[in-house]
Amino acid sequence: MSDLLQVKNLNTSFHTEDGVVRAVNGVSFTLKHGEALGIVGESGCGKSVACLSIMRLINHPGKIEADRILLEGNDLLQFRENKMRSVRGNEMAFIFQEPMTSLNPVYTIGFQLQEAIRLHQGLNKRKSWQKSVDMLKMVGIPRPEDIADEYPHCLSGGMKQRAMIAMALSCEPKVLFADEPTTALDVTIQAQILQLMRDLKERINTAIIFISHDLGVISEMVDRVIVMYCGRIIEESDTRNIIKEAKHPYTIGLINSKPQINEDIEKLVPISGSVPNPLQMPSGCPYHPRCEHAMEICAEEMPEKMEVSSGHHVNCWLYSRKGDQVRQ
Amino acid sequence: MNEPIIRLQNIKKYFPVRGGVFSRVIGHIKAVDNVSFSIKKGETLGLVGESGCGKSTLGRTILKLLDPTGGNVYYKDHSIFETGKEQLRCLRRELQMIFQDPYSSLNPRLNVGEIIGESIEFHGMASGREKQEKVKYMLEICGLSPHHHRRYPHEFSGGQRQRIGIARALSLNPEFVVADEPISSLDVSIQAQIVNLMEDLQEEFGLTYLFISHDLSMVRYIADHVAVMYLGKVVEICDKNELYDNPLHPYTQALLSAVPIMDPDLKSNRIILSGDVPSPANPPLGCNFNPRCRYAEERCRVEEPELREINGGHCVSCHLVEKR
Repeated sequence: MSDLLQVKNLNTSFHTEDGVVRAVNGVSFTLKHGEALGIVGESGCGKSVACLSIMRLINHPGKIEADRILLEGNDLLQFRENKMRSVRGNEMAFIFQEPMTSLNPVYTIGFQLQEAIRLHQGLNKRKSWQKSVDMLKMVGIPRPEDIADEYPHCLSGGMKQRAMIAMALSCEPKVLFADEPTTALDVTIQAQILQLMRDLKERINTAIIFISHDLGVISEMVDRVIVMYCGRIIEESDTRNIIKEAKHPYTIGLINSKPQINEDIEKLVPISGSVPNPLQMPSGCPYHPRCEHAMEICAEEMPEKMEVSSGHHVNCWLYSRKGDQVRQ
Repeated sequence: MNEPIIRLQNIKKYFPVRGGVFSRVIGHIKAVDNVSFSIKKGETLGLVGESGCGKSTLGRTILKLLDPTGGNVYYKDHSIFETGKEQLRCLRRELQMIFQDPYSSLNPRLNVGEIIGESIEFHGMASGREKQEKVKYMLEICGLSPHHHRRYPHEFSGGQRQRIGIARALSLNPEFVVADEPISSLDVSIQAQIVNLMEDLQEEFGLTYLFISHDLSMVRYIADHVAVMYLGKVVEICDKNELYDNPLHPYTQALLSAVPIMDPDLKSNRIILSGDVPSPANPPLGCNFNPRCRYAEERCRVEEPELREINGGHCVSCHLVEKR
């Protein structure tokens, strides 16, 4: 099957007064129709910025550069702004992390929903209102007719996130970006929302890019995972491989530093140190100051992408022939 | 070792709701309602629950940072709620708190030496050169460099600030520490560092923790006993392995099953709760949990269950434990 979304060598940088922050560095990946792809990483690793860049939602002083960002063969970077507007919310939609701050408090839920429907589908006022009520019903909001007339502050966090999902799915997008959609919610509400997203994905066959820092959520939601650190992809494979046979020391550290609820462990193994300042990136592999296996070459040269098994790529000198030579 | 160091007796904390023209009290939000438990010396009690269940309010009320509405807390032989202001101030030396947000809990205008040294001097433990030494020592055992004491909070990352907060709390050699979500604002890789630090310090100084958190897997790791709160009440309390392996309250069961597990081969049989947590200003009649409970019966809608012991220290407040 052909690729739905193809991102090649994406670089996003912010030109601030203190210097250039390279938030996303040479990120490339592809997304197939109906696939669920996860992006994992700590805060500041560039996972949100990468997705916002694909939607071209980065403002000054940010700058997006890429070889290409193809959505069904069309290069989004070549689109004019008004053409891009017809893509956003229509073919690609975004669910934001904070449902509390991403809804406009001065408009009703129904108004905010039907805005996109009217713009992209050209329905009249009555029909688009009806459609927004249907959407609210689909995401499991009780009394959808009444809720459509309410303002965001009347809804709880979980309900707001449901409304956000309704909004994102209202035009049946081909690609749905979900940026930590459950981080601000309690676990029982998180379980509701994840269940809802799985059901809806089956029903409308949207491809999802699911961003999260929680590997537990990722392992339940997606087929394939990208691990990011300091703006770069460091490991990529299907979900099983990442969790059971992680190769990159950072991925292993990330998995080990989180206790699991179904097992009783003696001692946690944290990753030492902290994420480097984006203005003073270390030379070579960005992870080498925190890495317990760091070698000389790690501080000098950036490791390239290596295939360790079919479809499992890792950017680490430990797995390269060049690294072997250095060790011997 | 087995003496309870802190005992809570029917603690209540109600917040008045005012309304009308003369803003009279028209109701109460029962943030904490009749909570009793005790913590033994050197142990950690994990307090879990969803946001708004009153766990932070309880933590603050125990140290009388909020004025209690009723009940009593005994620390060793002292009643915390009944001691006078002056004595309480002395007592606070042994009762310390680590706050949730390392960004707002440190004064940005004081340098780290002043932040940690302030309470050492206030309690007359040391001053001058001696105080400086103590500050440096505290920084060192909390994993920071001793010459950081002249820096200001904004120069540190979130994890380092939380270390400063811990150093401040422990600088007075306290016996009992309330840790109110100390890791929730930190990154995953830093969370493990802080939790390990807290464990090491507990071993070294024989500390007793009340560890408040919504992260159920981290609580399983750090706590000895766990209490689960729902709408201001403790619904289940017992030994941690007993709680995680054999939860008896339907809310605990749902809460534990909702935590995503990092294992692609595991088929979860998840209990999905319907609806949201009811407003604490208008709690349901009978058992607080009955509108969301899948076992609820007529009795649950009328009669409020008491927290009662089922077997060997496993306490649950549910009418139907034996029936199910």
